[in-house]
Amino acid sequence: MDPNQPVTENYANPKTCFFHVLFKAAALAFYILSALFIDNFVIIFVVTVLLAALDFWVVKNVSGRILVGLRWWNEINDLGESVWKFECLDQESLARMNKKDSWLFWWTLYLTAVAWIVLGIFSLIRLQADYLLVIGVCVTLSIANIVGFTKCKKDAKKQFQQFASQTLASRFSSTLSSAFSVV
Amino acid sequence: SASVPAPPPLPSSRPEIAASGFGPAPNTLTEPVWDTVKRDLSRIISNLKLVVFPNPYREDPGKALRDWDLWGPFFFIVFLGLTLSWSASVKKSEVFAVAFGLLAAGAVILTLNVLLLGGHIIFFQSLSLLGYCLFPLDVGALICMLKDNVILKIVVVCVTLAWSSWAAYPFMSSAVNPRRKALALYPVFLMYVSVGFLIIAID
Repeated sequence: MDPNQPVTENYANPKTCFFHVLFKAAALAFYILSALFIDNFVIIFVVTVLLAALDFWVVKNVSGRILVGLRWWNEINDLGESVWKFECLDQESLARMNKKDSWLFWWTLYLTAVAWIVLGIFSLIRLQADYLLVIGVCVTLSIANIVGFTKCKKDAKKQFQQFASQTLASRFSSTLSSAFSVV
Repeated sequence: SASVPAPPPLPSSRPEIAASGFGPAPNTLTEPVWDTVKRDLSRIISNLKLVVFPNPYREDPGKALRDWDLWGPFFFIVFLGLTLSWSASVKKSEVFAVAFGLLAAGAVILTLNVLLLGGHIIFFQSLSLLGYCLFPLDVGALICMLKDNVILKIVVVCVTLAWSSWAAYPFMSSAVNPRRKALALYPVFLMYVSVGFLIIAID
């Protein structure tokens, strides 16, 4: 083996990546195949929406945490107002996150939403209102996760910038005060 | 003279977090998956108990459904759709689609109604509440599916209808101006009556 060869990272959390993709792929596959083979709309609806809902839960609560270190949810505070809460790992841990993991996370999120929208356009063309219902639910779930995690990432960046500028300011003032104390 | 050595620092049980402002300590970021599942399941059960059964928090709707979630409502709507679909002897798929669409759209419209009346509720909290209030009607639909007696159906539907309306009442009425209470509550009652009709009339 050539010691000068750069080490390519492997997936750090293969099991999580697998589950992250599993329910998305299962929902899409079931929907597409069942439209060809199964004539019972109720089964198609319930199974597809169930898989999509499971996928939503897995992404929001498990793979988001493990693959990209982000978490988002909504709370109602004491004043009765709705507050969106974002949580993320500290900067060092985030920087150490596996690149392949996060690449897979984001791209499968986007691709799934696009796939559902394309299927929705097909249903629209064929004027199948009931299938549009299924697709509507799946698209909503996909987009909810995309919006939630994107907001969380932006919030994390903002917090890091604030922290960095605070640290810089405090270091600057302490250097100044120590310089003056020497005099 | 011997100096007293400083006591060793306590081992931190949580990973270090960076500066303030990141919300609660990242316990939930590093907790095992099973904990998350348990937390969500127990939240569904506690929400159900809060909304549908008598408890001391009912009169304080702000507290009642603070930890709203949509899993319970999702399950109850699907269950009602499935029950109605099973009870139907023809057009099962259409019945299911109509029931699901009606219930989902109904919840959204009822919420918008309160907001348009100038009331103060949070959109998802209201959807969550209206979904949980379907639990009695689910029970009623199940009983009606199993027993085919018309008189029994009417009695069961009336009882569960009253129960659902009672469950939704404090939350909906406190969200609006007292002079507009009836305007907010009447559509809710109307929706539950139509669902009740669906349950009785399904053949």
